[in-house]
Amino acid sequence: MKKIGIIDSGVETPEEIILAAGFTPYRFFGDPTIQPDKANEHIPATHCLWTRNLLEQALNGLDSDIVGIISSHGCDRTNREFDIWLEFINQDFMFFLNSPRKRDDLALKFFVSDINELITQLKEHYNVQITNEKLKDSIKKMNQIRKLLKEISEFRSKMILKGSEFHAIVKSVQRIDKDEVLKTLKLKLDELKKTKPFESNTMKKVLLTGSDIDDTEFIKYLEELGFHVIIDDLCVGTKYFWDIVNEDEDPILALANYHLNKPIYSTKFPSYERFDVLKNLLDTYEVDGVINIAQKFCEPILYDHPYLKKKFNEIGIPYLFVEVTYNRESYKQLSTRFSAFAEII
Amino acid sequence: MSKAELKSNKMLDATQGLKNIMGRHFLAIEQAFRDNKPTAWATSGSPVEILYAMGVQPMLPENSATVSAAQKYSKNFIEIAEDEGFSYDLCSYFKTNVGAVLSEADMLKGGTRKPTFMLSTDVICDTHVNWFQVQAERFNVPHFTLDVPHVVSNTNNRQYNYFKKYITEQLYDLLDFVQDVTGNEFNEERAKEVTKNSWDLSMIWQEIYKLRKEIPCPISTRDTFGGLFPLFTMPGLKEPIRLYKRMYREAKQRVDHGIGALKQEEFRLMFEGIPFWYNLKYFGKLEQWNAIIVYEPYTYAFSKYMNPNVTKDYVLSKPIEAMAELMLSFWYIYDLKTRVKKFEETVREWKIDGVLLHNNMSCRPNSCGLYDLKRHLMDDFDIPCLIIDADMNDPRKLNETQVTNQIESFIEILRKRKKK
Repeated sequence: MKKIGIIDSGVETPEEIILAAGFTPYRFFGDPTIQPDKANEHIPATHCLWTRNLLEQALNGLDSDIVGIISSHGCDRTNREFDIWLEFINQDFMFFLNSPRKRDDLALKFFVSDINELITQLKEHYNVQITNEKLKDSIKKMNQIRKLLKEISEFRSKMILKGSEFHAIVKSVQRIDKDEVLKTLKLKLDELKKTKPFESNTMKKVLLTGSDIDDTEFIKYLEELGFHVIIDDLCVGTKYFWDIVNEDEDPILALANYHLNKPIYSTKFPSYERFDVLKNLLDTYEVDGVINIAQKFCEPILYDHPYLKKKFNEIGIPYLFVEVTYNRESYKQLSTRFSAFAEII
Repeated sequence: MSKAELKSNKMLDATQGLKNIMGRHFLAIEQAFRDNKPTAWATSGSPVEILYAMGVQPMLPENSATVSAAQKYSKNFIEIAEDEGFSYDLCSYFKTNVGAVLSEADMLKGGTRKPTFMLSTDVICDTHVNWFQVQAERFNVPHFTLDVPHVVSNTNNRQYNYFKKYITEQLYDLLDFVQDVTGNEFNEERAKEVTKNSWDLSMIWQEIYKLRKEIPCPISTRDTFGGLFPLFTMPGLKEPIRLYKRMYREAKQRVDHGIGALKQEEFRLMFEGIPFWYNLKYFGKLEQWNAIIVYEPYTYAFSKYMNPNVTKDYVLSKPIEAMAELMLSFWYIYDLKTRVKKFEETVREWKIDGVLLHNNMSCRPNSCGLYDLKRHLMDDFDIPCLIIDADMNDPRKLNETQVTNQIESFIEILRKRKKK
């Protein structure tokens, strides 16, 4: 099936619309094994390495199945770099979705308009029908996926499922055919129900938050250092599935509502409410500490860090903040900091 | 003024008045505090006119940050903010402001007062919103933010219209917010007066800019870098209009007498980006190569009324709607395609020999697209360009020797082109 590529730092692209148009949503992820040599000819080296990495892959050539791209408003990067993609990446269909920064009624109304515009352009460009019925079916399907992911996610805190394995699942869900996803998730859930907990006495249970961490190897690296991510607050994680879309509402309004009301990410206003999201998770899941990872130059996370540090200090939760370069070699240089944190908690 | 009195290589006499006018702006802030009148912090790009129209004294921390830099305090303030946990890579205006607040610096050092509320917008950058969130939490004051959708190169008219509607509705929300916080009501007559002053101020600035098309150029960055501040701190007041009129008259006299801001003008340059506020003297170095900057999109950008759809009648009859439209269409936020077009037109009209592009490490929205802008200008229009890496407020990020060597080589290229 043909795919629509998604550039999105905050998982705010309504995949249901892509599905209703007859395409498979395919979210772009970085590849930390490559250097952004070509992308550096377009974007200064002091800008987000992750988005440069995405551009690098696109400049090297995208999968021929990808027939269009939707980029959703996240931070300043996704906004400003869209024009570069528009000019240099050979795609007939490119849409910038202005997912609002605010989350009030006016923002909701605006987001509905922008989603409607996306639908209009998809219909015009691909000569497809995107009916309310198709949208409702897609919402149902995506809700099933969300519910399954949430159920599977719980096996992390039961010490049955490794954080890295779950991370890989959430990633793959965002790239492959959703019917296939449903089958795979159901099988996985059945398997997990029969699996016994692993030995976890020495593992440090952590809540992982921060930038959009999409390299599963990084989670594996944390595991090698003795951490177990039992819960997260990430876009390749709980933010993708935590809530469900209202199936009784007008589908477009329901989608806009869902994205505006789900657990807030640092790219939205007021981002300090992300602490409340984290606090709720801490109230539910018993963790030894919180790890906040900022990708190098990831401004939204960098702005929030001192506030989060203060708040976690106030409630006595051990908190580690680390800036990471999007490059596997660089992970190794951080082991001292992680190990020291493991000692503390 | 006689021809003998009109000299090159110096600031306009009128620009000397800028110090007084900015001084009075700071005094007005102090006065508002003494009188217990409402005050607000506002980010650049936000509709300061609404604040004036509603009897709220605005303060622009970006302006204060430049004062810190000019007084050589910014590095110290930035390091204080970094000690609080803010990254080396974050905006130096922001960190200067954090450091100034933590140091309780006075206004002459770039300090600011605790406001009644804060008004931010993400029209220029997300940083503005994050910055005020940090400081609103610190001061425990209300914070209103305007969410401005981003116009990209393929935004169509249909989208543009509902973008405008969204901003308009938020502006009406802002009026309610200000009334709730201060008790001051929005007065249409007062708004008209403020808007007219804002329009007049911008138009004179644009007229001053037109004079810079002349060879030799009558005005240098000595007048414009500082001269821009009333545009975003005092749009709506009469006083800066008088100052700009004086600047215009003096510059016009220079033009009439064929006198340039530079004694011997050989190379006309454009400077894209925010200047190095901690080292404005650096720009004087260009004079050694007989080069003068005749256009800065940054200082022009704040004369906001440059959208041909936004006429004076429209501005006066529907100030809120006009404001919304303006927030979608000014120099600093142009999409890449429009940016290239505007640069090419400007280079042609202002007879510019080369473009200096500041890859400002603090302002990623502005520096994003700079490489492709350069490529287009050079490849499509044969316009020489040079990118220099530095920072607007953080002196640690300017390698003066390296930048000077780059500019020197660039001037040599321009010289060779002239000889051809």
